[in-house]
Amino acid sequence: MADFDITSGERDGMGPHGTKVGLLRVLGPAHVWALGVGIVLVGEYMGWNFAVGKGGAYAALIACWFAGILYTCVAMIDSEVTSTVAAAGGQYTQAKHIVGPLMAFNVGLYLVFAYTMLEAANAITAGYLFSVVATMSGFEGELDQRPFIILVIMFLAWLNYRGVLATLTFNLVITAIAFSAILVLFLSTSGVLGGGIMQHAALFEGHELPYGWVGVLAAMHFGLWYYLGIEGTTQAAEEVRSPARSLPFGTLAGIMTLLIAATLTWYVCSGVLPWEFLGDGVNGSVAPLFDTARLSGSNGLVWFLGFGTLFATLASANGCINDASRAWFAMGRDKYLPAWFGAVHPKYRTPYRAIVFLVPIALIFALGAPLDQVITFSILSGLLEYTFMPLNIILFRKKWPMGSIKRGYEHPFHPLPAIVLLSLCGITFFAVFLGYGTQLVAMIGFYIVVSLWFHFRRYRFVDRGAQFTMPWPKPQGY
Amino acid sequence: MSHYVPPKQGKLSQLFDVIVLVALTVGALFVPLWLNMAGDAKEVTTPVENPTWESLGQNAVQAGQYEALGYTPETAHDLILARFDYSFTTGALITMIVVIVAYYFLMLKFSEAEYREVISEKFGQK
Amino acid sequence: MQTWNFLEYAAWGLSALFGLHMLADWLKTDSSYSEDVLTSSREGELEAMTEESHKG
Repeated sequence: MADFDITSGERDGMGPHGTKVGLLRVLGPAHVWALGVGIVLVGEYMGWNFAVGKGGAYAALIACWFAGILYTCVAMIDSEVTSTVAAAGGQYTQAKHIVGPLMAFNVGLYLVFAYTMLEAANAITAGYLFSVVATMSGFEGELDQRPFIILVIMFLAWLNYRGVLATLTFNLVITAIAFSAILVLFLSTSGVLGGGIMQHAALFEGHELPYGWVGVLAAMHFGLWYYLGIEGTTQAAEEVRSPARSLPFGTLAGIMTLLIAATLTWYVCSGVLPWEFLGDGVNGSVAPLFDTARLSGSNGLVWFLGFGTLFATLASANGCINDASRAWFAMGRDKYLPAWFGAVHPKYRTPYRAIVFLVPIALIFALGAPLDQVITFSILSGLLEYTFMPLNIILFRKKWPMGSIKRGYEHPFHPLPAIVLLSLCGITFFAVFLGYGTQLVAMIGFYIVVSLWFHFRRYRFVDRGAQFTMPWPKPQGY
Repeated sequence: MSHYVPPKQGKLSQLFDVIVLVALTVGALFVPLWLNMAGDAKEVTTPVENPTWESLGQNAVQAGQYEALGYTPETAHDLILARFDYSFTTGALITMIVVIVAYYFLMLKFSEAEYREVISEKFGQK
Repeated sequence: MQTWNFLEYAAWGLSALFGLHMLADWLKTDSSYSEDVLTSSREGELEAMTEESHKG
């Protein structure tokens, strides 16, 4: 071990197998936290409230907690696998080693889609925020949102292009500000400090469960939005200094942060905004935390939450560019996609071609599709990915039982989390079916077509044995 | 088992693959939109004539919050009364279940075949 | 209020600037390094190294 230190400036990222330029190992656990929470936190600022519209305020809270259980399982399973399979590409690389190439190709695409769509949704929201600020500052006429949408994507892509450390340090700062904005809003409106303005009982009266229990099921669809993206921490695996320690730590700290943020957000928003308004994210409350601040009567809170909303969208888009490009890059490196994408910038040490290539894709979706569609596509890709995870962990424990390889983190109660996760995914599929059945089938149709394309055409360019890179013994049963 | 040597892919062929993939992606998002099958519209099934806060089912506190947000009973009418329609047919539900299960089944089956090939090349045939 | 009209133009301009900078740097990088160097990154280097040092 003493021969060389992988984190030294001289050697980092360059290994004995011929890597001349690799990704830079510079990140610590705080960056992992910032990447995970940064992507997700925007979900508390916008989008989760569609769950209220689906089934009422109580349904949204139940969905919040059940989705919280779903994501806790995701985080536990992910922490175990990724602390062992630490490479850029995250779940894609896990699938490649544990389930098989075709599954890996699909998982890689889930990742790229979930993140690129989420990035587009964030850019749309940021453009909307600029138009609100313009109106508030007395601008007459319609602001053209397009230049701002494009600027957000271009600036963040540029930041990502220039290096991962600056990108995620930026994310750490703005995520921390956005998170503290939620805490401050809670403290100053709930009555903990000074007079509270919460009126839960009166606001819920007569509207406890407007759709009955089916509404609770339906709310699960957007319940995912409270946490969607926390699994993205694994994409940083090749850039953190000690993945086996930092990734589980950052991911589990991240999911705890989000459980707190999600519950506080539900509490303050549902205690101030009537459910019909809160639940309509298009014609009603686009940014519920911001609307809550507006009703608090404090100008300071309005500005703080306004900036919180903007920072949350930026942090999320930023993390999405980071994650989508890592997954795209990893697939290019294995020739699942054209090898040309597997390039690393010799100076900035980022997957620069993947970053540049995904910019126009994100722009197409940000400028050409409505927000709820983009969000639904993102959620669907995420959901397909979460359904893959229990299969993944079950096969992982079967092929390499405990003790046969060194795991950085071992999650407790196996196979309980896997079973819980699978059941919750089933419920969520049903929830999506209730509203967006056509998209669900279209989406799966798409994955079936690209799978056939991969199996019969693309896979011929992939080196069979060499794509298995982990120094593990032969899996059991082969 | 002999070692599989993949062919080297030329620039043009790489470009072609990218175009195929992008076309499929854009198609998957926009085709449902063009066919107008997308989305999940809320509808007002029982409109109220000359709405007041009470006829919209709002108590004093709820009405107060709407007023603070700048609504009147007229402007809030559609927002308050629009509802989703959660009815579905058993046939549609079964179709969805079959599609999802078949998808994962095929995925695991094809992957398994490819995986065996990877493992036998990596670890050598016994 | 003309400020926001200026800001619109500024946003267009900045977007173009960031885009062009990435594009220029990309072309420069691609032409000054060989493809072999650029795409030399391999997965699992860290694992491979720990394994080698165990043996050594």
